[in-house]
Amino acid sequence: MPENTSTEKEKPRIGVFICHCGSNIGGFVDVKAVTEYASTLPDVAYAADNLYTCAEDGLNNIKDSIKEHNLDRVIVSSCTPRTHAPLFQRTCEAAGVNKYMFTFVNIREHCSWVHMKEKEKATQKAKDLVRMGVARARFLEPQEETKVDVTPTALVVGGGVSGMTAALSLANMGFPVHLVEKDEELGGFVKNLHGLMMTTKSANETIKPLIDKVNAHKNITQHLNSHVASVEGFIGNYDISIGGDGAEAKEVKVGTIIVATGAVPLVPEGLFGYKEHPNVITSTEFEELCNKKELPKLKSVAFIQCVGARGQKVSYCSRVCCNVAIKSAINIAENRDNMLGVTEEKAAETGEVVEEPAAEKKAEEEGSDRRRRRRGRGRGDEDEAGEEAAPSSGVEVTVFNRDVMSYGVEHELEFNKAREKRVKFVRYLPDNLPKVSVKDGKLEVGYFHETLKMERTMPVDLVILSTPLVAQPDAATLSQLLKVPLGQDGFFQEAHVKLRPVDFATDGVYVCGTCRGPADISEAVSQAAAAASRASIPLANGFVQAEALTSIVDETKCTGCGTCVETCPYSALRKNEEGITEVIVAACKGCGCCGATCPEGAITMTHYTDQQLLAEAKAALEEV
Amino acid sequence: MTKSVMVIGGGIAGIQAALDLAERGIEVDLVEKLPSIGGRMAQLDKTFPTNDCSICILAPKMADCYAHPSINVMTYSEVKDISGKAGDFKVDVLKKARFVDEEKCNGCGDCFKVCPVSLPNEFDMGMRERPAIYVPFLQSVPRAATIDRAGVAPCSDKCPAGLSAQGYVSLIRAEKFKEAVDLIRRTIPLPSVCGRICHHPCEEGCNRTDVDEPVAIAGLKAFVGDYVREQGEDVPTPIEEERKEKVAVVGAGPAGLAAAYRLALKGFKVKMFEATSKPGGMLWWGIPDYRLPKDVLTAEVDHLLAHGIEIEYGKTVGKDLALADLKKEYDAVFLAIGAHKSLKLGVPGEDIEGVLHGVDFLHRVADKETVKIGKKVAVIGGGNAAMDAARTALRMGSDVTVIYRRTKDEMPAIAAEIKGAEEEGVKFEFLASPVNIQGKDGKITAIECIRMKLGEPDQSGRPRPVPVDGSEFTVEVDTVIPAVSQAPDLDALGSKDLAVTKWKTLEVNPGNLSTNIPGVFAGGDAVSGPASAVEAFAAGNKAARYIEKSLNGESIEPEPEEKNEHVITLEDIKARMDGDIPKSERVLRQHIPDDKRKTSFEEVERVFTKEEALKEAARCVNCGPCSQCEACAIACGPNAIDYNMKDQVVTLNPGAVIVATGFDVWDPTSASEYGYKKYPNVYTAMEYERMINASGPTGGHIVRRSDGEHPKKLAFIQCVGSRNPQVGHPYCCSVCCMHATKEAMLAREHYEDANSTIFYKDMRACAKGFNEYIERAKSDYGVSYINSDATVQENAETNNPVVVFDVGGKQQTEEFDAVVLATTLVPRKDTIELAKKLGLKLTEFGFFESPDSILDFGKSDLPGIYLAGYCAGPADIPESVAQGSSAAAKAAEVLANSGGG
Repeated sequence: MPENTSTEKEKPRIGVFICHCGSNIGGFVDVKAVTEYASTLPDVAYAADNLYTCAEDGLNNIKDSIKEHNLDRVIVSSCTPRTHAPLFQRTCEAAGVNKYMFTFVNIREHCSWVHMKEKEKATQKAKDLVRMGVARARFLEPQEETKVDVTPTALVVGGGVSGMTAALSLANMGFPVHLVEKDEELGGFVKNLHGLMMTTKSANETIKPLIDKVNAHKNITQHLNSHVASVEGFIGNYDISIGGDGAEAKEVKVGTIIVATGAVPLVPEGLFGYKEHPNVITSTEFEELCNKKELPKLKSVAFIQCVGARGQKVSYCSRVCCNVAIKSAINIAENRDNMLGVTEEKAAETGEVVEEPAAEKKAEEEGSDRRRRRRGRGRGDEDEAGEEAAPSSGVEVTVFNRDVMSYGVEHELEFNKAREKRVKFVRYLPDNLPKVSVKDGKLEVGYFHETLKMERTMPVDLVILSTPLVAQPDAATLSQLLKVPLGQDGFFQEAHVKLRPVDFATDGVYVCGTCRGPADISEAVSQAAAAASRASIPLANGFVQAEALTSIVDETKCTGCGTCVETCPYSALRKNEEGITEVIVAACKGCGCCGATCPEGAITMTHYTDQQLLAEAKAALEEV
Repeated sequence: MTKSVMVIGGGIAGIQAALDLAERGIEVDLVEKLPSIGGRMAQLDKTFPTNDCSICILAPKMADCYAHPSINVMTYSEVKDISGKAGDFKVDVLKKARFVDEEKCNGCGDCFKVCPVSLPNEFDMGMRERPAIYVPFLQSVPRAATIDRAGVAPCSDKCPAGLSAQGYVSLIRAEKFKEAVDLIRRTIPLPSVCGRICHHPCEEGCNRTDVDEPVAIAGLKAFVGDYVREQGEDVPTPIEEERKEKVAVVGAGPAGLAAAYRLALKGFKVKMFEATSKPGGMLWWGIPDYRLPKDVLTAEVDHLLAHGIEIEYGKTVGKDLALADLKKEYDAVFLAIGAHKSLKLGVPGEDIEGVLHGVDFLHRVADKETVKIGKKVAVIGGGNAAMDAARTALRMGSDVTVIYRRTKDEMPAIAAEIKGAEEEGVKFEFLASPVNIQGKDGKITAIECIRMKLGEPDQSGRPRPVPVDGSEFTVEVDTVIPAVSQAPDLDALGSKDLAVTKWKTLEVNPGNLSTNIPGVFAGGDAVSGPASAVEAFAAGNKAARYIEKSLNGESIEPEPEEKNEHVITLEDIKARMDGDIPKSERVLRQHIPDDKRKTSFEEVERVFTKEEALKEAARCVNCGPCSQCEACAIACGPNAIDYNMKDQVVTLNPGAVIVATGFDVWDPTSASEYGYKKYPNVYTAMEYERMINASGPTGGHIVRRSDGEHPKKLAFIQCVGSRNPQVGHPYCCSVCCMHATKEAMLAREHYEDANSTIFYKDMRACAKGFNEYIERAKSDYGVSYINSDATVQENAETNNPVVVFDVGGKQQTEEFDAVVLATTLVPRKDTIELAKKLGLKLTEFGFFESPDSILDFGKSDLPGIYLAGYCAGPADIPESVAQGSSAAAKAAEVLANSGGG
């Protein structure tokens, strides 16, 4: 007898509230009939229809019915959980029903709105959907949400502009930061450059204030000549081992991690005469020569863009190279900082400018010149500059490009300025690359003039190859340590290309700067501050709350095969000391991948148990 | 110190900033100008380079933002003023009245269906219409409706009874005739009658007056009253609650009828006492059949009486029953006895036979009495009674001259009446005033007049007529009908207790129409002296309101009658329409043949046919634009509509401010070489974006404006207005190359036979996955790219746009089915104004300036104010999101260092 009583007690008491949503549902679904039907379903203790369940009286109806009919689970059959589930969950909780004992059945978007022309079928489908909801609700269980404490310290990997900016922002918010830099000093890629875009200050001058602030900040602990050696833990509780050159590893505890390891320029082995002629250099090498004031005497300089990029060695456009070339071209044209070299012997190598035939010139002037000027900067700008006028420095500068990527305001204005300085921009197509060759000991560039449709040759003193930024060679190692993905180009892959640009899918780890893809300084800095914002959220809260929607491992069934650990996109599973999988509740998103792949059926999801889902599926197939 | 942050702009950048801050426990006020958050991203169909559905990825963020306990989303709100400094700003935010309770509204859309007003839907780039009550798009957050109400239409404002004229005109246009009559009846109990006889100040106010001619508002009212009755739809309103209190209404003129009807609807037991044998007062006795057929009046009065109103005819209070007795028997009394006593001219000879006073004359004619008048009739006066008398006398076969002491311009009669009289052959003797009436053998022979001239304006503002000495002249007549004025016949009331004014009208408290005797109210001509029917209706309504209050035991203290809503001007409408209002001819009411007009009492002006009415109603320019027809309030299940909602100013105290106001799309009409608006099949990229969206104006179909066909061959022209110093946009918008590529891909996804060509200057596909995207467009979607400037002409026969471009210096042309222009993205229109309020600097192109754009992009030139998204310069979605988070970090730093956060 006592057994019976207990069964009686535990028998679910489901309340079903079916909404007319004005005429949105009521106009197409016979809501009264669905309500009547719902009341006949097993364990349904109460069923009612509301004109608007979300309106005050609808919500009161739910609360009152919970008390009056002693309901222990609630179904609202109405619109979309996206907008309304939180409202009904709060209502349930206010009446003492755990929010996980609530379930939603969408008979508007999923039913009435798509079956406006078949009212009978819509009503039948609504009944089916309600029956499925009831079947699942019978197996609902209350859940407790868990909180995990967070160590309020951050780790930033990379001491370039991005890493420094992120570290400084976090430090300014009051959080201790460990800044790990593999080099012996801060500054990253930028410290090797001569000048920067959008400023006349030198690169070092520009970033010095940032370095000074980082050096001075009490919340930032720098680890130079160091790297991340190992990572254990999960959001809020990472144990990091920082290795140094020969030094003993340091152990730090952090709550969140920002990856800002930067990128390196592609070395254009075998392309455009690189390494075959000393005056064929990369744009990065050009910066270094400028810094050292070791440039040869120049009368004519050619930039070749997209060297190895856009479908050659790499598929992507490296975003920054055109604007770097524009900056350098302007510097050369203006002979800014007296950057041009003094070595007399190199002057002998300079060739002479080949005069263009008069006929060609005439052809150039025809066509759409007038319209182009009126409309602003069109293409074929090489024609506009003409040969008769050289830049004030007396150096011819030609930029061979596929498209000039001077996007936005500042870059485009710089592009315009370069052309005002008589820098020529000559387009080439990928199936007709410029050719760098040496003739009579002199360097020359051969190219196909796209407007005139003919081959031409130009003697030059210096060829600067703009090569794309590529991923750091050790990015893969770090990605494995942090269990965060790399994209196909080897750059770190953010969680969502549009809406989560500085997050990883794994909570607690963030990314910024050129290690996630080419970006100029201003963009990298925005991303860095963004990453700081994202990384500081758990630190500021001091805890992370996990929705009680996680996987559960049945230890008796788990064989420790590790399939789930591999599968989990959030690194929320790990093997414990006994080799059995355990769930890191704070990291689990409840996506169910592990449950689906577990060969032993040892993993289920809370709130979406196999039992619940099967009941729902069976109910769907039930003949009525 | 404050712990909150204000974010201005609810696009993706603002949403991201708000969410970042809120998630770390900082309170956020998100201020959005439009009724929904979501910004431009919500308008996009897909996003490059993954072709994810834009709203599908955005909507959850919008919902999260709105539902977040730490985010106060203030939509339909604008920053008014800001002061203070980083860590402690004071911001006044104008929360505009949306006239819908955001909490109660569940977004069901029942109101959208009943709203009679149609306006261009801004969200769909004006490519389809939306009602005046609306949510901008299906996934709007909050999904609470907003009433687009910029003010009151002048027609509605001018109506003495406060009837929303725009409301019923809109309802008529939407063919909601019954609803129109219901709306009219809520103010004017006799729609057909009022539509015929009203002096329609509404039409004088009409904003169309200065464009062409006012909308025939009164005529529409007459139409709809008749139409609904003829359709048999004019059934009485069920009385919801029966009341035991009894009310006596004395006088069945417009004031009495209005009051009786209102009180009957409220369930009171109403009994009317009418001195004559017919209902309607002056409507029956004073207005001849050719203006108001008696059957129309009878039908409309019957409708009112059908609400359980008892009426007793031939009962004069003061004669047949005493006011004191009424007072005893009834819980309240309303006196609406009108002004039926003709005032005399006060000249010698007025008592000679053949002098018939205007109102008495009309009364007797109405009573079918045989009234004898002579061959030559002089009518004295310039009001409506004079016109009615003159036109009636004319129809009785007399030669009629109207003698009026001022000129035609000063005549108080309705213009249509004067015009009618003139058309029918009534003569006018202006600037003349009777001196005496001459008679012989007890019969009139002539009337002597004196010439007048116009002097200084008198109290009424009209020039005072001054007699010209020695200018007397005589007009030979045998009948004189003075119709100068009327007064209430108070003696007949026989009550010594009622207070009376010096003008011999009943004295009342104008605020509630109560007389000095408690429980006795009065209104209409008896209080005001002779006035219009519509004013009498208004008085009846008002009396009913206060009688009800008094019977409810409530205070009858007059409520303030504030009328301070902005009255919409023609300029307002022009600004809204971005230009002039197209002219459209007023539909004229047909007249019966001229010969009939002189001989019969048949109604002169024919009421509009349904077709005429719809045509005329369509001329309304939706001043409000909400017409205040109340249809939404009636339809609203949760009672969320609140017409009395007022704009509010909310003062916020944020420690930091984030500006994320986004961009506008430049209108390329002025760049005529692209043919936008000139050639139908030229679209802007944003228009295309809305078209290709499944929930857009064409349901996801790309259709040609010219013929509705799907274009098979599309051209996309890049940099329209941008990278172009001539139009002031030398910059590159950063997103259009990818955007056009996406749109070209989508064309192929929608139609297998669609081919696209993109004309570009530089294909700027320079972020993660972008170059690969272009390559995919070429290889998998057949998109061609031509490196050339391009302009547009048209093949006039096919309406096919012809693109002119050049390759290798040679000009070429190619015909396409449609052209899509990648127009410049520019700062929001109101950026300058906002910058002024915030004290921020703008760049030469109008973007907010970020002084250290290298190492501290997003920091404005003022501490504590940060920038995010397109308002700080071109940026795509992920950049805007990153900038949103970045600005959040900077704001959080400020709070951390100002003692908050």
